[in-house]
This record gives sequence, structure tokens and C-alpha cells, in this order.
Amino acid sequence: MTETPRETRVLDAVVSLVDSLLVDFDVVDLLTELTERCAALLDVESAGLLLVDPLEQLRLLAATSEETRELELFQLQADEGPCVDCYSTGQPVSVADIQAEADRWPRFVPAALDAGFASVHAVPMRAAGIVMGALNLFGTHPGALSDADLLVGQTLAHVASVAILQEHAPTPWTVMPQLRSALTGRILVEQAKGFLREILDVSVEDAFTLLRSYARANGEHLTDIARRLITDRHSRPVLIAAISEFASAQPS
Amino acid sequence: MAIHDQLLAAVDGRRGAEAADRLCDACVMLFDIDAAAISLVFDGSNSGTLGSSGQPARMYDELQFTLGEGPCLESVALRTPVLVADLADPDEGRWPIYGPALLSYQIRGVFAMPVLVAGEYIGALDLFRAQPGNLNGEHFAGAVVAAELAGVPMLDLLDADLQSAVNDPGSNAWTELHSLSRAEVSQATGMLVAQLGVEPAEALVRLRAHAYAVGRSSTDVARDILERRIKLEAD
Repeated sequence: MTETPRETRVLDAVVSLVDSLLVDFDVVDLLTELTERCAALLDVESAGLLLVDPLEQLRLLAATSEETRELELFQLQADEGPCVDCYSTGQPVSVADIQAEADRWPRFVPAALDAGFASVHAVPMRAAGIVMGALNLFGTHPGALSDADLLVGQTLAHVASVAILQEHAPTPWTVMPQLRSALTGRILVEQAKGFLREILDVSVEDAFTLLRSYARANGEHLTDIARRLITDRHSRPVLIAAISEFASAQPS
Repeated sequence: MAIHDQLLAAVDGRRGAEAADRLCDACVMLFDIDAAAISLVFDGSNSGTLGSSGQPARMYDELQFTLGEGPCLESVALRTPVLVADLADPDEGRWPIYGPALLSYQIRGVFAMPVLVAGEYIGALDLFRAQPGNLNGEHFAGAVVAAELAGVPMLDLLDADLQSAVNDPGSNAWTELHSLSRAEVSQATGMLVAQLGVEPAEALVRLRAHAYAVGRSSTDVARDILERRIKLEAD
């Protein structure tokens, strides 16, 4: 049997998970599948998703295994362990050899070793600048996550974040207004292109590039800049001045 | 005939208030509701009911402008559909004056779809129903189409020259919406906003009025504006 390249398997997992997001789905069921996909793709034995509760305690949402010993291992991390560190820093944590961290995590390490694990990793889940939790991975042999593994883990953690935030499946009542709203954004952008063409005497193509790079440089949404330019008479002069200044600072 | 074909048939060949009235009639016929109205909220002051399925609909709709609260006002302010399944629901307290007033007319369900012109939320299609309950998916989707089409009579009514215009057998809402949604038209609208110092909806009204006056398509006129081949005069 020929081995399917990992790239294909990763894409297959992402497509299948995102497909589920576009129809009615159950969040725990979907995320359980996500942890299973994750374990298969990353050569880890066990994977779990821990989500922070309103009291900032990490709680298990979904895992590859429902075995008591493994569930306990996830639950232990409410207090200490790689997920707590990942959650508090917002950065991935990769522990190639659990044994070496006995002093750091006096309760977590013996429990992990008892359960037969040798390495552990945690990848953050985020939204709106908030760390929501972590994707936790356990391996049965020592070793760090490669950059490629980390990217796969992070991709699936992002999908999990979207799934949690989109738990209410799209319905005709939400989809159609969103489509209209998206198209309205495009109308505003086109109007703003014409507006800048007139004011700055640039082509509509250049006006678009300018709007987009100005919005990005200022950490703002393209459509928000367009809307202000087109509909907000009060802030318009200041915004035009800022965009003109930005344009003249660009290498032509 | 599919819902959207029936909605199109209601407005084609008609302009302004008459097209708006017929669109409202079609909504009542198609969406299991009892009354429909199209109203405009423009820069706060210039607002009111433009079309309706009849006198009761006009009254339910105008009431919100008297009371300062209601579906059209809320839908425009929030830029989203407003769906109230049952005004009699004790948890439904969004309109403390308008809600009880409509209940006294035996209206339980109220649904408003925003109407957009030139990317601006300028009005709404308001639907009223005596029975409580949500619009079903098919009727909701139809109401979104009707709100889209309502943009055309609304444009007519924003244009002083077209306000009292007689019906135009050649008018076709679909072709018109398609033409007006082209990128060139929006770009030219933006240029007019800068040139004439007007709001986008007003700029689009001007562009369209010029196209009518010279007997050309809005898209062609938009291209000429973009290439600076023509320039519209400020009022």
C-alpha cells in the first residue's frame, strides 16, 4: 500500500472539519473528531482540547480517549502542566522529555509517566486577542514537535476555535443577511476607490492598493476605512490627509 | 412561478410608489403575512412610508415614525433584519410603546428587512402578521429578495424628477439592479460623492437621472464619469 503524503492527509482533515462547520454540527462531537485527526496526523497517542472557563480554569472539552486515567491527566492540568503554561503565555509549549520536568510539575509528571507518556505538547487556541484554551498532545516516545508538526497542530487548533465560536450553525436567517452585508462592504470599497480617484487623481487600481495597504498599516478593516471615507463627513478631512500622507511616503 | 419571479413581475413596468405598493401586495400574497410596507429613513428627518399593501399596513408603518421606535428604524440602525416572532411574548420588550400599539391592532409578528441603496441602509421592508411565529426559511429568503428589489422604487422616489413619473413599460427591476451593482457604477458614485459633496445614495440618484436624461445605461455613464469624459454639475 502506498502511503498518502501527509500534506494530502492534513488537507483532507481540514476540508472535512470545515465542511462540518458549514452545516449543523455538535461542538463536542466535532471536536472529538478533531482530536482524533490530530493524533493520527501528528504521531501522538492522545490529544485533547482544554478550554478556559469563566474562572480561568482549564477544562476538558474533547479528547481522543475517554479512559479514566487519561481524562484525569487532562483534568490535572487545571492546576499545573504544559497547558497552563501555554494558556498563560499564549505560546506553544513542547516538552520532548516529560521525565526532565519532574521539579517543574510535581503532580503532572508522575501521572503522565504512569499513563505511559514520554512527551507532551500544547498549542494555544485564540480569538479576539484572548487565549481560549489549548490543544494538548501526548506522545509515547520522547521527542519535540517539528516546525511542520507545530503548523499542523496550530491549524487544527484554529479550526477548533472557529468551531467553538460558531457553535450556532448557519441558518437561512443568518447566512443571507451576512451575504448581503459582505456585498455591501464591496460596494463601499468600490465607492472609496472612485472617491480617492477623484481626490488624489490616481487610477482606481492604485486607489485600491492604497486603501488596502493604508488599512493594514493602521490595523483597520478595509471596509471600515471605505465606509468612513464615503459616509462620515466629519472624520473625512482627517482621514483624507492621513491617506495622502501615507501615499506620499510609499515608494512609487 | 418561483417566488422571486413573482416578486419581479410585481414591480416590472412600474415606477416609484406604485412599484412599491405592488411589491408589498406580492409580499402579502407570498409570505403568509397580513400587511407589508416599505419605508425610508434618510438622514433622520426625511423619513416615512413609501409604499404599502393597504391602509392598515400604512398605519402600522407610519406609527413607528410618530412614536420614534419600530422595525424599520431598528433595522436601519442595526443594519440587520429585525425578526419579532410574537409581540405578546412577555420577554419581548424592545418597543415599549410601538409593541403594545400594534398588539391593539391584533398584530403579533413583525419582520423588517433593511433596504440598501448605494451601500447605504436607507429604509426597510416591514412585514406584519396577525399570527405569532417566525417566517419560515423560504419566506425569509423571499423577503430578502423583496427588500433587494425595493431598492429600485426607492431610487425612483429619491429622484425628484421621477417622483411623480408615470409607469414605464420598459422598466425592468432585475436589469436595473444588475446594472447598478456593477463595480464601475459604485466607483463613479464614489467620484460623485467627492465632486458634488453629496451622500452616496444621492450620488447614485444623480448618476441614474443623468443616464435617463441622455438615454444611456448607468454603466456607460459610470465609465464616462470615471474617465472624466463627463462631469455632472453640482445643484
